[in-house]
Amino acid sequence: MNAEQQKAAAFVGRLLSNPAISNLPPLQKEEQIIQFLKVNAPQLRPTLASPQFFGNRSWQEIFNILYRALQAVINQELIPAVERMIQNRIDFSFIPFLRQQQVDNRRVAEQLNQFLVDLISHPPARQAFSGPFTAVLYGFVDRYIEEIFNRRSYAQFEFTKVERLKMSKEEIKHMVKVVALLRPSVNLLTTSIAGEQFTGNIQSQYLDKVLGVIKDKLSYLPEQVLKSALNSNLSFQSNRYIEATGRAAAILSLRCKSFRPNQKVDRGADTPDKSWFNIARRNYKYYGFDVKMLDEFYKTAAENQW
Amino acid sequence: MNEYRSPIKTALENLVIVAIILVLIQTFLEDYAVLAGWEWDLRRTLIFTGFGFDLFFTIEFCIRIYYAALNHRTKAYFFRERGWIDLLASVPLLMLNSGPTALAIMAGGGAVVGTGGVMNILKVVKAIRIARILRLLRIIKVFRQIKNADSVMAQRHVAMVSTISISVLVFSILGFTIAGSFFRIQGLESSFTAYRSTVEESILEQNLAEPGKERQLAAFASSHPQLLIVKDGGATRYTRYENSVYRSRFGPRDYSHTERGEVEIFFSSIPINQQHSRDNLLFFVVVVLLVAVFLIKYSPHFALTVSDPIHVMRRGMAEKDYNLEVRIPDEYQDDDIFRLAAQYNDKYLPLKDRNREEHESTELDLKLDDMQDLFGSGGDKPDQNGT
Repeated sequence: MNAEQQKAAAFVGRLLSNPAISNLPPLQKEEQIIQFLKVNAPQLRPTLASPQFFGNRSWQEIFNILYRALQAVINQELIPAVERMIQNRIDFSFIPFLRQQQVDNRRVAEQLNQFLVDLISHPPARQAFSGPFTAVLYGFVDRYIEEIFNRRSYAQFEFTKVERLKMSKEEIKHMVKVVALLRPSVNLLTTSIAGEQFTGNIQSQYLDKVLGVIKDKLSYLPEQVLKSALNSNLSFQSNRYIEATGRAAAILSLRCKSFRPNQKVDRGADTPDKSWFNIARRNYKYYGFDVKMLDEFYKTAAENQW
Repeated sequence: MNEYRSPIKTALENLVIVAIILVLIQTFLEDYAVLAGWEWDLRRTLIFTGFGFDLFFTIEFCIRIYYAALNHRTKAYFFRERGWIDLLASVPLLMLNSGPTALAIMAGGGAVVGTGGVMNILKVVKAIRIARILRLLRIIKVFRQIKNADSVMAQRHVAMVSTISISVLVFSILGFTIAGSFFRIQGLESSFTAYRSTVEESILEQNLAEPGKERQLAAFASSHPQLLIVKDGGATRYTRYENSVYRSRFGPRDYSHTERGEVEIFFSSIPINQQHSRDNLLFFVVVVLLVAVFLIKYSPHFALTVSDPIHVMRRGMAEKDYNLEVRIPDEYQDDDIFRLAAQYNDKYLPLKDRNREEHESTELDLKLDDMQDLFGSGGDKPDQNGT
């Protein structure tokens, strides 16, 4: 590590140690720091461009040095967390129901882990990974799918009858988790710079192209899972064929993008999940969500005071 | 906006709060002691304690008004911050009630109390003593630190409603008592005076104070339980109790004394004092319950239906990432505030959410101003201009 890298790591370390962001999931911390650097660039630039730091470099160069240092530090937390998540929170026993053949779960896990590690090295996909990662890490998928099956209503029908998932709710939960984690792979072929998100209108040809790429890298996962993950990025308003797992993954991923652990709920305010789902119900066309599924999530959150 | 308070000021405010709580207990005990027939020594201690509290609150009021005047905010302190309560609950009590009583006790007798001519003044003093109840309003200041800490509005409204209710109650009692003194409304004192005159007349008419009539006098006294002692020419003709009982149970306010020529008659004022104490305790309990109901019932209701929804909406409008909806209770959904909240939930928040999504902006938890040693030893924290 050269002197500049050391200075960048020390600077980023000081930002990360701020108690205001210590409770956030790793990628939200990263996002906060990226925003902080952008917002405060005019104030930070004179000092950071001084000979004591990154003498005479442009702000873009300084930002890139700091971003790389930040990514490295966050990766130290994020990559092991992803590995642990795949090992401890995901069971691949749903795969034989889709492929009608046995697979070695260990190999699937290794392949998925390697794919996700590669995925999060790609800035647009990395940014989009925040929501799905949080959704799985904080048990959102488990909680909501469990309740949806207890309700025996629209969403359950969509999973079991429309998507024809002939498996238990536990296996559906794990499938939704994998679909959610693979959602950001839609950004794999984009070349946005750090901090900017994929915003273009997604064409089906583009998805086919991405599917071709990820199919090779995730050979143990059934195509149905990969398609569901990619389709989850489409609007349900114009694509009624989107798999129920993809629709659920999309909603929960976006919910968790803004999830704050241990958020204090003011007196007189509704709970965070209930509030979020209700707002999403109003904006369902904007986000391309399945409003009936949103309704179920909303009712679930309301009944459980989530 | 939070006002900076020095540790000394905070300590003094806490001391005042402790004193308020103690004075409430003392006020209760002073009347309860009379009602329960506690010994004079204990009651005297309570009277002196009351004097101490009145002195303390008078000094507190003087300091507050002095500093308010120094800062050219006397009017604000006196009216907006309810300095008038501080005044009414301190100076009059010290000047007219606990001060003279304590002085009389220290002087060793009933210079101020017990004589018929002073009876009307005493009624006024007793009435002013009721103003001590105003001190109860200070409970609100104690509760301020526990509930609705973020809502100055809730505090002010609850304080205002409590102040009005309790002031009206106290001033009604005060006014009625004072009016009773001046307009000779038939009350306990006048009944007692009439009763005393009747007994005096009977003793004098029947010459019961003369030597040799002790038996008749004792028989007469047995039907008049407030009659304590009858003396003739300095010699005791009748006494209800031993001297030790008088010493332990009777204070200067517990008896009255009349002289008719050579005859001296002492009456017990304890029943009338007990009636006053019963009334005082009733007012005390009513006021305490009023304050308690305002704080326990009305304050949360105000928070639920006014200040909390406003607080949530204010945060939602001020903070980019704050997207919690206002909880709308079914029973209040037609209230104006909750109709506004419904608009906020259904229109404003979804619009804000779309706007935020389009601009990809998040609220920053990290603030440059909060950063300590941001550049380590390699540089100073920049100011807003980056210098």
